[in-house]
Amino acid sequence: MAKPLSSRLAGSGVTLKARALSFFIDWVVWGYIAYGVMFFLNYYWYTVHVDWWGTLTLPTWGWPLVVLGTLEMAGLCRALGRSLGKRALGLNLVGEHGQRLRRGQRIYRFLLWNITLPIQPILYALRRPLLHERRSSTQLVHSPRAPGVKGKSSLLTQWGIMAVFLCVFTVWLGWLITEINVPVLISRAPTAGRIWSQMVSPDFRYFIEPDPVFALRGLSYSILNLMVVTIFMALLATILGAIFALPVSFAGARNIMGHNALGWAVYAVVRGLFNVFRSIETVLWALVFAVWVGWGTPFAGVLALTVHTIAALGKLYSEQVESIDPGPLEAIVAVGGSRWQVIRYAVLPQVVPSFWAFTLYRWDINVRMSTIIALVGGGGIGDMLFYYKNEGLWRMVGAVVIVIVAVVWSMDYISGRLRERIA
Amino acid sequence: MQGYPEGYLSERPRWTTPAGLVNLIGGPLGLVGRRLSMILLDMAAVALLWVLVTYAFLWYVHGDIGYTVIPWWLFGLFVFELAAAWNSFGVAPSQRLSGVHLVPSEGGRMTVWHRLLHFLAWHVSVLPIVGLLGRRPWHERLSGTRTKRVESGAIKPAPWYRTSVGIYAAVILVVVVVAALGVTVSMANLRRLVTDAWRAGNIWRAFFSPDTTILQTVVRDLLVTFFMAVLATAFAVVVAVPLSFLSARNLMKGPVGRSVYTALRGAMSITRSIEPIVWAIVFLVWVTARRAPFAGVLALVVHSIADLVKLYAEQLEGINPGLPEAITATGGGRLAVLRYGVLPQIINPYISFTLYRWDINIRMATVVGVVGGGGIGQRLYAYLQGHMYSQAGTAMLLIVVLVWAIDYLSSRIRAKLA
Amino acid sequence: MTEPYLRIEKLTKVYERGQVLALDALSLDVEKREFLVVIGLSGSGKSTLLRCINRLIEPTSGRIMLGSVDLTRLSPERMRKMRRRMGMIFQHFNLIRRAPVITNVLTGRLGYMPGWKAMLGMFSKEDQDRALESLERVGLREKAYVRADELSGGQQQRVGIARALMQEPEILLADEPVSALDPATSHSIMQYLEWMNREREVTVLASLHFLSLARRYGTRIVALKDGQRVFDGPPAEIDNAKFKEIYGEDAEEVEVR
Repeated sequence: MAKPLSSRLAGSGVTLKARALSFFIDWVVWGYIAYGVMFFLNYYWYTVHVDWWGTLTLPTWGWPLVVLGTLEMAGLCRALGRSLGKRALGLNLVGEHGQRLRRGQRIYRFLLWNITLPIQPILYALRRPLLHERRSSTQLVHSPRAPGVKGKSSLLTQWGIMAVFLCVFTVWLGWLITEINVPVLISRAPTAGRIWSQMVSPDFRYFIEPDPVFALRGLSYSILNLMVVTIFMALLATILGAIFALPVSFAGARNIMGHNALGWAVYAVVRGLFNVFRSIETVLWALVFAVWVGWGTPFAGVLALTVHTIAALGKLYSEQVESIDPGPLEAIVAVGGSRWQVIRYAVLPQVVPSFWAFTLYRWDINVRMSTIIALVGGGGIGDMLFYYKNEGLWRMVGAVVIVIVAVVWSMDYISGRLRERIA
Repeated sequence: MQGYPEGYLSERPRWTTPAGLVNLIGGPLGLVGRRLSMILLDMAAVALLWVLVTYAFLWYVHGDIGYTVIPWWLFGLFVFELAAAWNSFGVAPSQRLSGVHLVPSEGGRMTVWHRLLHFLAWHVSVLPIVGLLGRRPWHERLSGTRTKRVESGAIKPAPWYRTSVGIYAAVILVVVVVAALGVTVSMANLRRLVTDAWRAGNIWRAFFSPDTTILQTVVRDLLVTFFMAVLATAFAVVVAVPLSFLSARNLMKGPVGRSVYTALRGAMSITRSIEPIVWAIVFLVWVTARRAPFAGVLALVVHSIADLVKLYAEQLEGINPGLPEAITATGGGRLAVLRYGVLPQIINPYISFTLYRWDINIRMATVVGVVGGGGIGQRLYAYLQGHMYSQAGTAMLLIVVLVWAIDYLSSRIRAKLA
Repeated sequence: MTEPYLRIEKLTKVYERGQVLALDALSLDVEKREFLVVIGLSGSGKSTLLRCINRLIEPTSGRIMLGSVDLTRLSPERMRKMRRRMGMIFQHFNLIRRAPVITNVLTGRLGYMPGWKAMLGMFSKEDQDRALESLERVGLREKAYVRADELSGGQQQRVGIARALMQEPEILLADEPVSALDPATSHSIMQYLEWMNREREVTVLASLHFLSLARRYGTRIVALKDGQRVFDGPPAEIDNAKFKEIYGEDAEEVEVR
């Protein structure tokens, strides 16, 4: 053995984390396949199609079987060639001295892997070579593509076949799950055509004059009035959101918070909150606020937009603060400036232009969102849109949609031009 | 054109050639257009403020929504006069935008007399638009003034509260906020925000006590949402890639190409400004509400196509033209240029845009569900309508997890591709 | 010999990440009104030394005595007060690029102002006049209200000098003030430093890349290599052998004119 001991130690350069992650990917792939197979069984063979998930359920003893089966398949794939998980992390299986492996060796490794799996963690902790690797004289290495050697066409490798298979599999599965039905789309096209033809000959009767239908509820709703309200909603939400996000964003910036424990904690909490609040869409926020402050009031919409705006802008702002040039910071510290003076004179001037750009961008998004937020009780032009839609007054719907498109378009244009000027 | 013999250039007078004619007419017209649009900008600024003030006044004093309290001709006159005064006695937005100010043409300082003359001459010059023709418009000639580029540097610029545009911006901001607060927030709402906090408290409490019995149902719905996003993205890519080549300005040349480009970009722009929710409504009627996820997928596909075509085409427009040029220079045909000159430059950005769109589609799929587009969104909506808050909380929690996971995954892969 | 003006004793700096020894128990005495030039290869510890003096970088061990004050032991607040007396000029100017020149110069007064006034940007009339004076001094009065990023590199560095002037410093730390500039501009910047050194009696510590500049302007040269002092003396004493020792065998001296 000419090789030094260190390279024969556990992992041979590939960390346990990388191994585990790449194995996990393979396992997930096989789990996904198992799920799909189960679905297909239900769909094509087993039962009358009632619900998309059918009626075939696994017996209790089936679960361990599935888990074990997918694990075995993942292990087998990994031993026999370059699996998807190995490809994703750039790993490859080679012989002890980097030579190609014989098939027997690969199968031997797989069998050994099965037997020794329970004691592997102990071996790894003791920094001993992994048993199945040593016994089968194989090792897992990071292998970038060899330069100068023409690789196999990726469609002929195991991972390539697997990737293509997964794509087809996913589309097939998705096709069934989302109930895609092209014949219906075609056969009902005349219905849709009727709607479209009505929508493109819009009825602007209630553009300025309020629609008497809403007068019953004591509301004076005309398209113009509600559109103005909608724009105001977006505006207010953007202004409020920016005002709240601005100070908080500094707390979510690594370079401002410093590297002590408190700084880390504040940073983590702020960023975490931004992320959670951001991943709940505005519409879902509107559902909550509609229950709280009253269904159909613009205020609920403003609150929902504001909350989402704070989170989204906060994240963008913080990232911007993190990416500033540290030079001016150093200069202000060097003249004896305090932390606040550093923020005021070195950080703010650098970030203000991009803050404006982000705010305008957000205002753009908010205008779009505010046009539909009425659906979930947020108020605004959507109130009319959804009322007319429910009544089947497609000409009216057409008028509202056209106004929405015009407004969204022009706001988009204005904010785009302003952003260009700032940048 | 120095060094050419006289006869080598066109012998005809310039204006007899088509290009010369266009120049002769287009040049002054363009000048008038520019000046007119500047004046319209000032008038629009005045009009906006006036309308907003009226709006706020009517709302707060009379309690209804309205826009005018004076006859339109009076309004027009008012706007025109104010714009003229602003241009003469201060620095109007248009002057600020083009970075000029008014100075006497023979030097010296501006006097009130100059400004008054400028204001009066404005009427004879701007009303019959011809006054805007020529190198110096009439109102400047008549008042003995001209516009000069502001060259600051040594002189301290006035702080914003001393310039008319700065004051205008501040006033309009205040008026807008006041008007916006008026129409969107009522006292009753604000009171509910406090008094009904218990209701929200209940919701939050329920949110944080998830109902595990419905886990299986919710996860299944989550899968529907996931597949909706995946399929929508996949279908959209198939359509958007060819369309993107047709809507890239640098690839579409000639009259036919340009019109295809314009038509496609316009259509995509309109499609994009209609939210997926609105599309979902249309498709729900089309394929009937029984096939909710299908309608959701269609809505997402349409919106994704419009969005992806724009992103893809912008990427195509930004490619380095050197590489296709090099392939052409080696004698490659159109397809060879596309394959070896264009494709290598766009493949990674395309993938990363697609992943980005997939990420957005996951979020959108949850939202589309709310209108009845299937998946977890529909379930969540049903729970909230039925006041089943802890179930809704479970659904929301899972949405957050899914969105987070996909967000993380897509950003990691995108970082690797970049 | 009496107590030196600035005494650096066994200054050591270890960068945690990578375990790089940037300064290795360096000791140095600096007299008042000296123009000390620090030379050496990239990574020899020049920047670290200058930044340790005003504690932009915290030294790992050692002492820095300014008169009878140990700078390394000052509380952050007192260090802040102390920094007012030390001007600093940076390689990349470190100006607020989007702010007007005058604001950049005025930031030199931040250490002297109460916090709330600084927050609101309320600089006193005298400060503003003085800022204009400083700009006049570096020949940039005409550019006072222009945005800093509209200036050329040399002009930006002159703004940096004006900012340092505002502090009325006793010591000026110049961290490679000219390495981002062309030769002609370099000389003009160095002449401003020389002027501060002679007329305003400021002690200057400058790190430079080019030996010719160091010879021309320095009253004393210190050469660093791997965080240790390899040469210390008047400029005339650096001969070819010394040069090779500092910069390595393959080095060739180039002249900046």
